[in-house]
Amino acid sequence: MTYSLPLRAALAEPPAPSGGADAELVAQLQRGDEAAFRTLVLRFQDQVYRTVYSLLRSAEDAEDVAQEVFVEVHQTIARFRGDATLSTWLYRLATSRALQHRRRQQARRRFAFFTSFLGFANETLPEPPDHAHPQALLEGAQQLHLLQQHIGRLPAQQQVAFTLRYEQELRYDEIAAVLDTSVAAVESLLYRARHTLRQHLQPASRHA
Amino acid sequence: MRNPTSHPGADQQWQDLLGQLRRQPAPQPRPFFYARVQARLSAQRATPLPWLPGWLRRPAYAALLGMLVLAMSGDGAALRAAPTASHPSQLPQPFPR
Repeated sequence: MTYSLPLRAALAEPPAPSGGADAELVAQLQRGDEAAFRTLVLRFQDQVYRTVYSLLRSAEDAEDVAQEVFVEVHQTIARFRGDATLSTWLYRLATSRALQHRRRQQARRRFAFFTSFLGFANETLPEPPDHAHPQALLEGAQQLHLLQQHIGRLPAQQQVAFTLRYEQELRYDEIAAVLDTSVAAVESLLYRARHTLRQHLQPASRHA
Repeated sequence: MRNPTSHPGADQQWQDLLGQLRRQPAPQPRPFFYARVQARLSAQRATPLPWLPGWLRRPAYAALLGMLVLAMSGDGAALRAAPTASHPSQLPQPFPR
């Protein structure tokens, strides 16, 4: 299943500010005010970074993608029409960019494996470690780590919905706005995500 | 299909785990994030736009395109045109019975 909100779509519908402050900020940004851009970055950097980090689980990648998001905002703010709030737009960009980054990373990993298999290169990108030993699962932290690993393996839309709900603590309607879908669809995504995750985690819980 | 909630106390364990997920310390970007964004913007402004599309700047694609052009631009020596049947003697003769 592919993520139904590609970056192009996210960029095609830049947002409207939710309140007066955001509206003024956007107006200043569209006039090319660098101080307004600084305000925007300082105001939203934590939100964007946290969202990207929760999808990529790497500080280095999160930093890179968060920077990319703000560069994108700087370059496309002129096309801002106001169909969503500034915050929603940033969530859209952050999730789209993060997923795009992950797809590129997976492609690179496959290519590295292929070239090492053919003997063109001796280095491969390391796979994330798997701590699935039953003894280790007794630890709460390990259980959490296992949950995060399984969240990372969910289909893209379910992963975004789950992360926005349970890590960023967004409301259903806010998630629906980010994913450009209905609240019912978000409920369905979250139900499927929870079901899959509990299926994967249940044997570990029973074992513990 | 296995029911993940069949285990007694499973709901409580699941809720505890979600609570743990929520209580994770919120990651934050390193200090001077704005300065790094600015540096990236400046670097992008300084870099001229490439005159070739991205896919064509990859050696594998460029080589493939080169081979395709070579294959398409043969001088006709390899594939001769079929003779025209303007003269009756040039027509293929049937086998004798």
